[in-house]
Amino acid sequence: MATKAYFLPTSLNEAVSLLAEHGPSLLVMAGGTLAMPLINEGVSMPELVMGLRRAGLNYIKRSDGVLSIGATTTLTQMLNDSNVPFLQEAAHHVGAWAIRNMGTVGGNLFAPPPSGDFAVALLALDAKVKLASKKGTRTLPLTEFYTGFLTNALQPGELVAELEVPLPKGKTAYIKYGRRQHNTPAIVTVAAHLVMDGKKVKDARIALNAVGPHPIRAWNAEKALIGAALDAEAIRAASDAAAEECQPFTDSIASDWYRRKMVGVKVGHALAQIAG
Amino acid sequence: MPSKVVSFKLNGREVEVMVKPLMTLQTLLREQLNLTATKAGCRQGGCGSCTVLVNGEPMMSCLLPVEDVEGQEVTTLEGITPAEGLNPLQEAFFEKYAIQCGYCTPGMIMVATALLAHNPNPTREQVIEAISGNFCRCTGYAPIIEAIQAAAQRTNGRK
Repeated sequence: MATKAYFLPTSLNEAVSLLAEHGPSLLVMAGGTLAMPLINEGVSMPELVMGLRRAGLNYIKRSDGVLSIGATTTLTQMLNDSNVPFLQEAAHHVGAWAIRNMGTVGGNLFAPPPSGDFAVALLALDAKVKLASKKGTRTLPLTEFYTGFLTNALQPGELVAELEVPLPKGKTAYIKYGRRQHNTPAIVTVAAHLVMDGKKVKDARIALNAVGPHPIRAWNAEKALIGAALDAEAIRAASDAAAEECQPFTDSIASDWYRRKMVGVKVGHALAQIAG
Repeated sequence: MPSKVVSFKLNGREVEVMVKPLMTLQTLLREQLNLTATKAGCRQGGCGSCTVLVNGEPMMSCLLPVEDVEGQEVTTLEGITPAEGLNPLQEAFFEKYAIQCGYCTPGMIMVATALLAHNPNPTREQVIEAISGNFCRCTGYAPIIEAIQAAAQRTNGRK
């Protein structure tokens, strides 16, 4: 079945109106790097598709320590224009050049693991997702946006309009471990953000990708760190906790057994990098 | 919904085409315009053989609806090939045996064209990274990397 209509709204208002009018039968697409492969393959055969490239959601604004990133901002734009090294590093580790020129920040929230290596960094910064519908907008913590493998908190008629990303308040580390250096699916990706109070960890965010149904927080690893001095013992405890709590899977890239082992190793590396 | 008329600049010329909803740029180029240098490999955005330049930036034409390039500037391998002979990148690919079956070559050359436009003197590491989205299953990457670096040196030498 061929697609009957392809809409290219030129504003967010027009986009949410189209979504309200056509309901869940309208496939929402931004850069096309997730939707188009499925359509080309015939796995997905949407009759109605809406592309967001012209919807005016392509921007990075900075105010009061928060980046407001329009959902269709490309990963190349993040790399070139965000001026946040932690996010630039994450953007750099998604796909290759042509894919980064197409793939978007908002779209990365819908990328099933082992994809989603930008979103994992957003998780480490306590990003919030602004959802828009014809009725208005609501904002959710990214942790609540994800509900399972390929499922999320979007209600019918809603789309992801913007990410609100607090700038890092402490030290960060981003490590993507794959089978080669560039353009590679992750075995595990670790995004860590630690706020220190002298030698002690005041606050910790450790986010993992490719070891769960979506990018996940390593809550127990974070707990193991908060209040502790960032020494070898604490790093070991946090790494062990992360390895235990992650939910790795087996695919053509790595086995679940190996992924779990590498979570321990790479969380350790990320924390050691922050400890300096 | 009926087909739509889309106009954009293709290889320096204004074109106006009639496309079905969501038709990809790859399909348009190959099947409607007979510009077959742009290849159809995986159609998943995974192999890079369909890479074209949109406003000078590499993109996968298999993932790009034609309607999205309305008013933009698209360049394919046909657009950078001189009427007679080869351009410096093509020459270098030829000389360094960077082509075997040739299927990845148009995509490789388009990405290399964009790379040299951004960075006339790329390091080996920068070349490797730039072509990391383009898969070659014949010669291996070494001669391709050498060819891109040789073309860079030659082009700079001429300036």
